[in-house]
Amino acid sequence: MSKVSRRAALKALGASAALLPALSPDGLLAFARIQAGRTVPAPRLLSGSDFRTLEVLVEAIIPADERSPGAKEARVADYIDLLLSEGEQQTALQWMGGLAALDQRAESRFGASFARLDAPRIDQIMAEISRNELEPTTPLEQFFVMTKQATIRGYYSSEIGIHRELRYKGNTYLEEFVGCATEDGKDCPHCRQQK
Amino acid sequence: MTQPDPTLALNNLAAVTEESRKLAASITPGSGKWDVIVVGSGAAGGMAAFQLAMAGVKVLLLEAGRMIDVRTEYRTMEWPYASMRRHRLPPGERPIAVAEYNFLDRPYGSNPALEKYKKVASYSANTFTRHWLPDERDNPTTGTPYALVRARILGGRTNFWGRGALRYGPLQFQAASRDGFDVDWPISYDDVKPYYDKVDTLLGCSGTNEGLVQVPDGVFQRPSKLNCVEVAFKRSIQKLGRTLIPGRAGVTTEGVLNNKYRNPCRGRGRCGRGCNLQAAFHSPTALLYPARDSGNLTIRPYSLATEVLLASGTNKARAVRVIDVNTREVMEFSARAVVLGAGTLESTRILLNSKAPSHPTGLGNSSGLLGCYLSEHIMGIRGSGYIPARIGTETTLDDGRPVGPYIPRFRNVTDRHPDFIRGYHFQGGGGCAEFPGMAGEIPGYGKAFKSNVRKHYPAIISFGGFGEVLPRKENRITIDPRVRDAWGIPVICFDYRFGDNELKMAKDMGDSIEEMLRAAGAEDIKIGRDPLPEGWSIHEIGTARMGDDPKTSVSDRYCRLHDVPNVYLADGAPFVSGGTQNTTWTILAMAWRTMDRLKEDLRSGTV
Repeated sequence: MSKVSRRAALKALGASAALLPALSPDGLLAFARIQAGRTVPAPRLLSGSDFRTLEVLVEAIIPADERSPGAKEARVADYIDLLLSEGEQQTALQWMGGLAALDQRAESRFGASFARLDAPRIDQIMAEISRNELEPTTPLEQFFVMTKQATIRGYYSSEIGIHRELRYKGNTYLEEFVGCATEDGKDCPHCRQQK
Repeated sequence: MTQPDPTLALNNLAAVTEESRKLAASITPGSGKWDVIVVGSGAAGGMAAFQLAMAGVKVLLLEAGRMIDVRTEYRTMEWPYASMRRHRLPPGERPIAVAEYNFLDRPYGSNPALEKYKKVASYSANTFTRHWLPDERDNPTTGTPYALVRARILGGRTNFWGRGALRYGPLQFQAASRDGFDVDWPISYDDVKPYYDKVDTLLGCSGTNEGLVQVPDGVFQRPSKLNCVEVAFKRSIQKLGRTLIPGRAGVTTEGVLNNKYRNPCRGRGRCGRGCNLQAAFHSPTALLYPARDSGNLTIRPYSLATEVLLASGTNKARAVRVIDVNTREVMEFSARAVVLGAGTLESTRILLNSKAPSHPTGLGNSSGLLGCYLSEHIMGIRGSGYIPARIGTETTLDDGRPVGPYIPRFRNVTDRHPDFIRGYHFQGGGGCAEFPGMAGEIPGYGKAFKSNVRKHYPAIISFGGFGEVLPRKENRITIDPRVRDAWGIPVICFDYRFGDNELKMAKDMGDSIEEMLRAAGAEDIKIGRDPLPEGWSIHEIGTARMGDDPKTSVSDRYCRLHDVPNVYLADGAPFVSGGTQNTTWTILAMAWRTMDRLKEDLRSGTV
């Protein structure tokens, strides 16, 4: 990302309260220049390095574990990128600003970009930016909330999220819906309620 | 590399659009002779057309939208990951958001904030309904905030309705006798009960007989059973004297007779997208196609009815004026009688716009009450929590059914609440859904977060209230002479607000759902106490109320206009009050009853 757009993006992130105020004209112009500079009409809005940072961030929010793959394999970064490419310019700019700010934090704390940090250091930054999740105030805290909500939407609507993580059993043809076994006068093996 | 989006490509509507244009062009005032004109094709127009056509009456049905392709447009089982866009609306289209209904200047669709969008639709627009809902810019409304949802498609809103099929009972028909507010209906539950029974049998209704006066029993097919969290919740609230029953749905679980278009429910859920098995009641497959097969029904799509015209020097309607929405050609279709079933508000708008020298303020408005007494339900107050017995248990199949459970009204049934009259019910449910809506409220990140979502996933339970809005004369619609729709027709202007009784009721809803969740030992209880904007329930009724006295009502006990007796109302416009119940099943029963009257009036030569 160019210096101009980075500054504009950081500025946009700073303004990311619940109700978005209008972005400054130079911020929008910077964004328009980024758009116009892309010769190939690509589905992906984010630069390669921003995209990698986003992948690491969403995986830190919903990681792979013993039960199922995480947000990276579920292609949540692609989902967010598509969402941004189709959405409001202000939102995209806030996201780019958030990724830039995250890198800035990683650089100032550990001397490397966020995507290059080891797991304990990523966790340290995640703990910081998620601390005030219910009432986020700083731009990075707000960026965490934004990204977490989008990650939840993207992950739990993915094939991995629905089938491998949640093991969702519906959306199938049934002879009839069964429900709790107590409704048929039996003890229920699922909830252990008795008839 | 641009990814194709199958969730968008699936809706190639060229064929059905072309078919609709051709059909519309083939039907002109000279192309046929009809006994009755029916306006609208949803629950009201569908039932009206079915009853008449099956009795040998020649019917012309006018639908403002196009025909529907029922084989491809109901995308019932499509997974969200069918595309990376995950069922979001395409760029350039957007529904009006909750808060915008309250703070955007009217009309909503032409607000500068929304200018850049290709299409602005009402809040019900989503990837499944987006081709059925009109652009708000073509169909503006003005006045006080109102979240009006309209459909312009064969079958109207029955294509995506919530499937809740509840009867009004004695507590609704004779509400005024119990608390002294306003007036009773001119008819009683006993007058309508046979029609509810016939609707249940014709269309299929799933539910359980419970013997409750608040919400009478019916002729039910196999019910939507309760799942594990719901059974736990039911057992807990019994201690408070509250009842929880399986939801009642306008869905056939065991099949219906004499309809080759429909199949029984196969427990897939997702009924609100439209059911491609046609197990859910949709007006096209349940009513209109069989009616058309009789040879007595002509359907003209793309036909916006704008006025009912009087025969000069009489109080009889002679024709309906129609604008073809594509060609803009204006036509007059004549018949012996007119049935309005365009939906409470659109039917009322047609009447208000039908001005004649003898009816200067609209047809049937000698009482001055046409447009008054608008009512619906106050909703949005909700509570949720986790049932401990299910936290950390394995996923079960919890959502393969049309509707979740139902907590019938418990206020002002046998006791008398000190703060408000009438009452409210709760609808909701719990357990494993395709999308874990609760995940967004679980704090943290990483493995702990992921595992917490998984543990709480089967345990969530959530209920939302629906409260009666009192029928009050000052809650009304008029015609805004300054604003016209895309076809030049003056639009609806709302003057409608929740009142003191509704707001007190809403407060009690929040308190009572909290009390029930506490009784269930629910963890992490969250209560939402803000009502949704006016109109959100899509249960509008009352703007051409029925009664025996032409001075205090617009329509008679058979839903005929007092002033113009060959105009019949088939939708919710004549309803005097609405209780807590969802409206569709009563519209169907009342429309059937009204058509029995019309058939009799045709036979006897009254019309």
